[in-house]
Amino acid sequence: MDSNPDPAALSPERAAGELRALLEAAVDGVIVIDHDGRITTFNPAAERLFGYRAADLIGERVEVLMPEPDRSAHGGYLQNYLRTGRARIIGIGRDVTAQRRDGTLFPASLAVGEIRGSTPPRFVAFIHDISSRQAAFDELRRERDRAQSYLDLAQVMLVAIDGGGRIALINRKGCEILGYTEAELVGRDWFLDFVPERHREAARAVLAAALDGSAGPPAYAEDTMLARDGSRKLIAWRATLLRDERGLPVGLLMSGEDISEQRRGERALKRSESLLRSAQAFAHLGNFEAHVSGGPLHWSEQMYAIVGRDVGDGPVDPQEFAARYVHPDDRSLYQRDWQRALASTGRFDLEYRLLRADGSTRTVHSLAQILPGADGDSRVITGTLHDVTERRLAGEELRQSQERLTHVARLSTMGEMAAGLAHEINQPLTAIATYSQAAVRMIDRSGGIEACELRDPLVQITAQALRAGEVIRRLRGLVRNRATHAESLDVNRLIEELRVLSEPDARVNDVRLTIELATGLPAISADPVQLQQVLLNLIRNAIDATLEAPDAPREVVVRSQLVADGVEVGVIDHAGGIPDDVAAQLFNPFFTTKPEGTGLGLAISRSIIRAHRGKLGHRPTPGGGTTFYFVLPPLPGA
Amino acid sequence: MKEKPATIFVVDDDDAVRTSLRLLLRSVGLPVETFGSAQAFLDAFDAERAGCLVLDIRMPGMSGLELQQRLNEIHAIIPIVFITGHGDVPMAVEAMQHGAVDFIQKPFRDQDLIDRINQALEKDRDNRAGLKERDAIQDRMRQLTPREREVLEHVTRGKANKVIAGDLNVSQRTVEIHRARVMEKMGASSLAHLVRMVIEAERAA
Repeated sequence: MDSNPDPAALSPERAAGELRALLEAAVDGVIVIDHDGRITTFNPAAERLFGYRAADLIGERVEVLMPEPDRSAHGGYLQNYLRTGRARIIGIGRDVTAQRRDGTLFPASLAVGEIRGSTPPRFVAFIHDISSRQAAFDELRRERDRAQSYLDLAQVMLVAIDGGGRIALINRKGCEILGYTEAELVGRDWFLDFVPERHREAARAVLAAALDGSAGPPAYAEDTMLARDGSRKLIAWRATLLRDERGLPVGLLMSGEDISEQRRGERALKRSESLLRSAQAFAHLGNFEAHVSGGPLHWSEQMYAIVGRDVGDGPVDPQEFAARYVHPDDRSLYQRDWQRALASTGRFDLEYRLLRADGSTRTVHSLAQILPGADGDSRVITGTLHDVTERRLAGEELRQSQERLTHVARLSTMGEMAAGLAHEINQPLTAIATYSQAAVRMIDRSGGIEACELRDPLVQITAQALRAGEVIRRLRGLVRNRATHAESLDVNRLIEELRVLSEPDARVNDVRLTIELATGLPAISADPVQLQQVLLNLIRNAIDATLEAPDAPREVVVRSQLVADGVEVGVIDHAGGIPDDVAAQLFNPFFTTKPEGTGLGLAISRSIIRAHRGKLGHRPTPGGGTTFYFVLPPLPGA
Repeated sequence: MKEKPATIFVVDDDDAVRTSLRLLLRSVGLPVETFGSAQAFLDAFDAERAGCLVLDIRMPGMSGLELQQRLNEIHAIIPIVFITGHGDVPMAVEAMQHGAVDFIQKPFRDQDLIDRINQALEKDRDNRAGLKERDAIQDRMRQLTPREREVLEHVTRGKANKVIAGDLNVSQRTVEIHRARVMEKMGASSLAHLVRMVIEAERAA
């Protein structure tokens, strides 16, 4: 403007008048100060801003309008400028805080200019109250913080990436998942730093497609992200396009959920389901679930395999199961047990046979429990079905070989008793032969014989023949190989019956066999032959032990008595007792101290007694020797 | 002096065997006494009674072999016929070594048993006769004077009268008188008879 001189140049008076009018009309406060910082002009707007009258301030230092620290420093700024010409504020303008006459502060926008042409220099300041602008700004900032805190509250990861793939915004959850602070994340290349290389290009392509509109962002995606600690997080993403005010795509806003744990859980569940499936297949064990009053049914895979049903045909309820699969011979048992379980016990435990569609039979063991349903009205049946066919077969084979072994041991014991038994049969034969020869001589005697004289020998012959027959009958009972069966037994009677066999054995060895029976013993349940086998074996051993100890009393006592656990039968000898090293091996199969022993007697005796739910043991006989005993539980109700 | 009839003593623990034996032996006219155990027999034993023992080799308590041993200990001379079961041969051999007459296995033929019993009775008679003779010889020997005993000893060693006279420092005539008296007192019919009697007497001692 200086180069275009005003055609109508103003007079100094007129110029002063116009300046005054300008100062009075100005909305901004206008303050002029001299080189010393003293106020020379203070316009009405400045009066309104600061609450001073111009007359009060003219000639005062401008610092009164400033709060600390500016107030103390201002003099220095001014001197500095005058000396160096380096401006901090002059010609620049900035936001400052000003102080009113009443001491209150207000934000102000300040512009300062140097009035050229005056010496020493003077300065003019324009001040504008920006309180309202500041308030709006603060409100905006609070709004932003609130939004951020909403984002932070969200339990999902929220992240905005711009068109260049850089992180524009990320919430606290996002920071947590990735393991960085917000400041570390904003501005980073999302794809480069957090997407594994394998997926990086594909992910960039998704962004590019979303931006150029060729494909919308995917509604759902699962991606692996790299966290700071090197771990990989599986994130389930939902994304939406970010647009600018013109509606053009500028980036993506994505919400992501860390599903690593969930997926791990799902994998573990899948794995344990598959383990269960193979375990069930190995074990031939199926499980099922049903509701008492109808409702959803569940069968495990193995259930179908066991009953021979197509998995596709689905499960059947226990009633239909009975009609379709339970062997007709076992059906009433099956239904009776179910009724009982439903009515009272709540438990089902039955071994029965299945008749499968292909006509084959399987033996199964089913266990089930009836529990109150979650909703309280329909009870739930949960149970297992175990195919025990093979086990039963193996068990049957094992049982048979055990029986064979038991039989062998019995024969062996009988063999050891042979001398006594031969004697026991020879005695009546001798008596018979002698009686009949005597009778013949009596008949041949000169003078004849009265018929009645023959009566006595003939009666005796009969008795002796029966006596020999009895021994043979007992022997046959023990020697015969027959199936085990339990029956109600009187132990005392068993011992008495055995006397026929055990007494001769004792006698030929010159040992006295004494039998002491307690009265009023309860009945027991046992296989008589097996029990006699045990008893014979113990008596045999006692006799042998007695023979081994030449100075021992030559007596073996068989004693029955009532004990706490049931009925005890003890076989008592007064021989040398059992050395410790022998005691340790006493029940080992094939361990024997006898030159011709099999080592089976005691081992089998103990397994027989165990099979009868009893126990077999030994203890020292008071005064010397050993007592072997077995205890059998009384028959329930006996 | 009239001899008591010989008795068959049967010892067997088995009632039936014992009773049948009694019936059998009575049917052939033999006096029988039966015992159920060795001890019962021993308690009733009388060495003076003639007869024989029919003894079961196996019995509880005192066995047949033990009874035999006890009888030997008291110099009882009763002959024993053992009855044995099967498989008792070693015991029977032992019984024979200890002087049993015989053994017989159960069951037996009646005649076999009776034959053995008769053998045993005969042996018992012999034993008892021999015993009686020994007693008589010893009685007679006790009647000899010391000098006659000396002469007897020398005579039975086969010495001539002349040698004896020299040994005893007497005259040959004196020896002849003693020797004649010894022959007379002992009832010897010959020197051989006298020697046999002395051997018999010494055997019993």
